[in-house]
Amino acid sequence: MRTRTFKQTYGELTRLLPYSSSWTWYVALLAALIALPLVGPTYVSTFVLLILSAAVGAIGLNIVTGSAGLISLGHAGFLAIGAYTTAILTTDYGFDLIPTLVIAGLVSAASSLLVGIPSLRLKGLYLAITTLAFSIIVTQLIVEAEWLTGGSIGKAVTRTTVFGYPVRSTISIYYIALGVLVLTIFGALNLLRSRVGRAWMAIRDYDTAARMMGINLVQYKLFAFAVSAFLTGVAGGLSALYVRYINIDGFTLIVSVEAVAMILVGGLGSVRGAILGAIIITILPDVSRWLMNTMFRSVFVLPAANSQEIKGIIYAVMIILFLRYEPDGLAARWAVIKRFWSEWPLGKARG
Amino acid sequence: MLKSGPSSGELGGSAPVAAARAGLEVANAQIFYDSHVEAVRDISFAVPPGQIVCLLGSNGAGKSTTLKAISGILFPEKGMLVSGSITYDGRRIDRVEADEVVRGGVVLVPEGRRLFINLTVEENLLVGGISRSAADRRAQLERVYDQFPELPEHRHRISGYLSGGQQQMVAIGRALMSNPTLLMLDEPSLGLAPKIVDSIFEAIVQLRSNDMSVLLVEQNAHLALSVADFGYVMERGRIVFDGSANDLMESPEIQEFYLGMNASKQRKSLRHVKHYKRRKRWLS
Repeated sequence: MRTRTFKQTYGELTRLLPYSSSWTWYVALLAALIALPLVGPTYVSTFVLLILSAAVGAIGLNIVTGSAGLISLGHAGFLAIGAYTTAILTTDYGFDLIPTLVIAGLVSAASSLLVGIPSLRLKGLYLAITTLAFSIIVTQLIVEAEWLTGGSIGKAVTRTTVFGYPVRSTISIYYIALGVLVLTIFGALNLLRSRVGRAWMAIRDYDTAARMMGINLVQYKLFAFAVSAFLTGVAGGLSALYVRYINIDGFTLIVSVEAVAMILVGGLGSVRGAILGAIIITILPDVSRWLMNTMFRSVFVLPAANSQEIKGIIYAVMIILFLRYEPDGLAARWAVIKRFWSEWPLGKARG
Repeated sequence: MLKSGPSSGELGGSAPVAAARAGLEVANAQIFYDSHVEAVRDISFAVPPGQIVCLLGSNGAGKSTTLKAISGILFPEKGMLVSGSITYDGRRIDRVEADEVVRGGVVLVPEGRRLFINLTVEENLLVGGISRSAADRRAQLERVYDQFPELPEHRHRISGYLSGGQQQMVAIGRALMSNPTLLMLDEPSLGLAPKIVDSIFEAIVQLRSNDMSVLLVEQNAHLALSVADFGYVMERGRIVFDGSANDLMESPEIQEFYLGMNASKQRKSLRHVKHYKRRKRWLS
């Protein structure tokens, strides 16, 4: 019987996927995602596009919070920086999209030093407040820099090209987002099983012991913030592409809470968890609104104007439920289900 | 009482000594916590290459603080070396970051193991070798498995689920991954069964044979002196006795205060121990 426990060689330990059969499943999933816009309805593709973009940002947040243990409530700030950089470079300066996304990530990563440096001395609640303050400062700066960002009115993303070809349809953006997500997953998985990933997890588990083992906390914490902010900046760039019009209302505290909810629901420190969390948190508000409007239509109808309030309530309930009943998130639940079926009929369900 | 400290010529017997190296030297170190709590007062000692030196003393004597000062991790605990110096192989290490101290060959196994409890045994070990190249790390990993033959079968277990003895082996193995020349152990026998303690101390003695120095902090004075070449006794932040392990074992004061023996080398009764503790407090 196949087991997950015994790995005899160093190569087995460091392999990206534990079994060759896993590759088959992931390639099949990728093929399905590639085929989706061609065969499925447009609204489904648009919805999956939202998930793809959210997953990139969630993986980014999971690196700094889940793997390195540095709580961040300021990722809406990085998202905003990425989105505005993309809007300015593509629309005002006619940059090609691929270098624009890289620059958006790099600008976000550079700005992460502002919160990364205080993080060297702060932990827990204090760090969360610092990152939150960063996010507020970023939105304020965007409002003040009206000549560049459009201020409180916002900025339209009108001209986008990839290698000289204009990007107009949602389907084109969908494929770009899919490519970015695949690269992000490979990059994150490789990083987390490398020396750097182990150092982040050591810092998360016990930072003084990590220091005793020769880990330079300054370097590794700053690098965690930079990588996380880079990915979140790229996610911000992708979101700017499909919303076509950005303003600061899209980067409020609720966005940071949404990102934290994604990694808590999905599972801290796990790439798969971040993706599962992004799926659940992205679809949940719409599913709940649909359920309420169809099943309890006679009692009340929830107008779209209340969507922010509904989201807030749903995220709060989800976070509380998961912290109480499954603190390790959906990734842990997935592992339990998988173990049950791989050992079936000999195994038994374990929570 | 404080004299010249251990020298490679008179101690250690069979231990090989690297003549070119100076080992660890702590000179007139004074350490404060929070700028006003004096934890260590003007202590000086040395750990020559290839020797096992132990620091003995009761709780609060300043032993662990001294180890933290050497390994460069006092700062997060608001501690500071306010005067004196710490040098290793002639190079000052009291003003450098902890990771540089590790790269210089000095590594600490902390009290209570402090493993990364969500990582597997092997991942813990690999973290220990983070200052080394990938090839060195893999070679050192095999050496650690040879040193602790019990570990390979647990290599993929989450370290938080291991027994105390196994965790101590992982903690020592993790420190050895950086290929140190001075290993510092803070209370390695803490909370372990006597049989496990014996095996841990056997491993410590074996380490010395590879030209590695060991600085051992231990409350179990009898155990520590049984493996050490030289010992220092700390009391209230100061070194109050020093000498070769044999001399300390024979010293009536050490026997009375730290080994719990009376003049005829019999174990003292609880009443005697209480009486001696009162006397010790009065003397100090």
